[in-house]
Amino acid sequence: MGMKSAKRLLAGPYIIWMIGFTVIPLLLIVFYGLTDRSGAFTLANVLSIGTPEHSKALFLSLGLSLISTLICLLLSFPLAMTLRKRGIGQGSFMVFIFILPMWMNFLLRTLAWQTLLEKNGVINGILNVLHLPGIAIINTPAAIILGMVYNFLPFMVLPIYNVMAKIDDNTINAAKDLGANEFQTLIHIWIPLSLPGIISGINMVFVPALTTFVISNLLGGSKILLIGNVIEQEFTKGSNWHLGSGLSLVLMIFILLSMALIAKYDKDGEGTAF
Amino acid sequence: MKRYSLKQFFQDFYLVLILIFLYAPIMTMMVLSFNNTKSRTLWGGFTLKWYAEMFQNQAIMNALNNTLLIAFVSALVATIIGTIASIGINSLNRLPRAIVMGVNNIPMLNSDIVTGISLMLAFIAFGISLGFKTVLISHITFNIPYVILSVMPKLKQTNRYTYEAAMDLGAGPLQAFFKVVFPDIVPGVLSGFLMAFTMSLDDFIVTHFTRGAGIDTLSTLIYSEVRRGIKPSMYALSTLIFLTVLVLLLITNFAPDKPASDGNSQKSETAGRIKKAVLAIASIAIILVVGISTYSRYSVTHSNELYVYNWGEYIDESVIEEFEEETGIKVIYDLFETNEEMYPVIEAGAVNYDVVCPSDYMIQKMAENGLLAEINFDNIPNIDQIDPLYMEMSKSFDPENRYSVPYTWGTVGILYNTKMMEEKGLPIPTKWEDLWNPVYEGEILMQDSVRDAFMVALKSLGYSMNSENETELQEAKQKLIDQKPLVQAYVIDQVRDKMIGGEAAIGVIYSGEMLYIQEEVAAQNLDYSLEYVIPEEGTNLWIDSWVIPANAKNKENAEKWIDFLCRPDIALKNFEYITYSTPNKGAFELLDEELQNNEAIFPDPDDLTGSEVYHYLGDDVDGIYNSLWKEVKSQ
Repeated sequence: MGMKSAKRLLAGPYIIWMIGFTVIPLLLIVFYGLTDRSGAFTLANVLSIGTPEHSKALFLSLGLSLISTLICLLLSFPLAMTLRKRGIGQGSFMVFIFILPMWMNFLLRTLAWQTLLEKNGVINGILNVLHLPGIAIINTPAAIILGMVYNFLPFMVLPIYNVMAKIDDNTINAAKDLGANEFQTLIHIWIPLSLPGIISGINMVFVPALTTFVISNLLGGSKILLIGNVIEQEFTKGSNWHLGSGLSLVLMIFILLSMALIAKYDKDGEGTAF
Repeated sequence: MKRYSLKQFFQDFYLVLILIFLYAPIMTMMVLSFNNTKSRTLWGGFTLKWYAEMFQNQAIMNALNNTLLIAFVSALVATIIGTIASIGINSLNRLPRAIVMGVNNIPMLNSDIVTGISLMLAFIAFGISLGFKTVLISHITFNIPYVILSVMPKLKQTNRYTYEAAMDLGAGPLQAFFKVVFPDIVPGVLSGFLMAFTMSLDDFIVTHFTRGAGIDTLSTLIYSEVRRGIKPSMYALSTLIFLTVLVLLLITNFAPDKPASDGNSQKSETAGRIKKAVLAIASIAIILVVGISTYSRYSVTHSNELYVYNWGEYIDESVIEEFEEETGIKVIYDLFETNEEMYPVIEAGAVNYDVVCPSDYMIQKMAENGLLAEINFDNIPNIDQIDPLYMEMSKSFDPENRYSVPYTWGTVGILYNTKMMEEKGLPIPTKWEDLWNPVYEGEILMQDSVRDAFMVALKSLGYSMNSENETELQEAKQKLIDQKPLVQAYVIDQVRDKMIGGEAAIGVIYSGEMLYIQEEVAAQNLDYSLEYVIPEEGTNLWIDSWVIPANAKNKENAEKWIDFLCRPDIALKNFEYITYSTPNKGAFELLDEELQNNEAIFPDPDDLTGSEVYHYLGDDVDGIYNSLWKEVKSQ
């Protein structure tokens, strides 16, 4: 037991770091969120989520990020299954293929989508050469969803793939031997066993999608106001840090929900991206 | 067999589609890096000039250096702290472990903007001045969770009895750890490092809020370019980074590391060694280059410094060098994107800038809130070169000409595409009211800033753009809401590139962009031209001026800087680079006649009747503008 308590001390430096650079900064946000410019206590900042503009932005964000998360999941699950079945994902190569794009700057990648989607953009140029009708999704919610799916897809693929890679071939063969068809195997073997990865993926896509402001600015033409844009504007343009902090506190409710979800379904932390 | 291969075909097809989706934007960037024009949509022939330009560009090289150094050091420190912490956390009891893991998840799940701002607030509260170290601390903070999340599962899989067995066999705790436990968790540690490195490389928002003067990473540099158009040399750099990583990846993955089918294990062992050596050499080379260049950059200390805070792309960089040579003062040069972003930085005093270049209304706000120092004009003999007209104009925000020296000025007007107007039979716009003409549906680019958007609406209604009257503001809001269906996008500086690219027929733009636009239209051989009009109702006449913050530490150097910029030859150089109208009459006289007569840049004073300069309206009225603008945007 003495050894175990000595081992526990190893968590010490990080706990101190965490208090200094995660907990205290967060408390500062709470402090700002619950006070006004004069420093007096108020709930007005948090309650302002009820105003029509803010609640509309919040629901729009929730809607778009839910749709993006769903699309990511629908794309990733068969992808991870294919990778596993075909054995392509062996070694670190597959991981690299999905994180390699992340080594190109996030802003540049999103801007590149702008170039691709614009009215006179690359895709319309190609369609034009082929005498096909052009697409007009730039500056619409569809473009924002595309940007979210593009940027966060790796965060869904990797955890699902990592969990699937651990599924024993014998389990699948046993199911087949016992007469299960492909669909039954999917429902009874693949999905339940990949659940930790799916939950972790949902979190890693949903939360950043919910809070993004860069994607909606660049691909939505700033015509669509998401809750992330509202917060960003309060901090950078409106100079009202109290309101920005108050709205951030509202967003934290969703983050707490996510954490609870992870704690429920992914107890062992299996569903990690890497 | 046949059925199986059909299935395989579909699987392959799906994989290829996903890969195209993932890599299409990257291919786009790579193609653009060889494009001879600056246009994002028009191919102007093959060139390598952006690659040459990239290596000569000191700002890009410094940013690359900082990015790699921060990514490497933060990932390394995070890996060490995170691995040690994982072992500790793993042996904690259930409840404390759940709490620690919960808090551990916060930086990952919190929105970046909250993480960034909360860290900035904490640094200011702790009295740590923003700089390289604060960016590093922040990156370590958001990196550790990724390391812990990838080490913990591996740690759980290890058999704890092997560790105890090693101890029983006489190994010390450290020896037992490195001989028995560590080899088992190495994959987790490595992938944690890789993930941390990637996250650090890709971060923009946290860096943006926690960086101090003169620290730019690639992300922050790119962000400052997004507004005014990415320079193709940035695509060149990205292409090089991508290819380097890809080559390393291919080497490490396709050098076989498992015994080949013929079972020649000797050979594969050599291949494995080569692979490791390549990786090791590559990383050591990067560390050495980055380390040495950083050391040489920061080891030189300067007693005579000047901290300059300016808009992006708002000076000819050779002017800074010339100033340093002539005065022996070391300039630390930093950029901001909006007045509103600059204000809290100066107010918080996290970095003590010596000289800043805000706009009119912001100067008034800073002066009213006691953030500015009076300029000693005895130290600025070249003030004579500034046309008294602009000193007079400045009085609307700096009533006694005590705090500011004009640097650039201009108007806001309507830019239109002549060919699109003709083809679609659209009327040529002459006034703001034309921006409500339904024939322009989907063809209008509006300014994405509160004051500029309301200026357009208020002016078209015949009100002052400094209106504080609630009914007038409500009317303007309704007008902007009515306009929204006609608007293609709300943009700031991107309006320039979008108009050049023919994305829209009509846009609200700053006059200073006109020279660049005219040059690009000529350079790209476009079959249309873009024309600028100052609307009849009058417009915003703006002035950006140099001011000295009250907390400046090198006030005399700041005055030398302002004086230097007022010198006609220097003002001319800056005008040629920035292309925003100069208030410097000495520089104006040095211009070609053609430029002097360019009405977009130096308008006839008669066209400016009814135009106004923005005033600072106080925090409360600002708040009203902001919330009305939010109502418009959320429609």
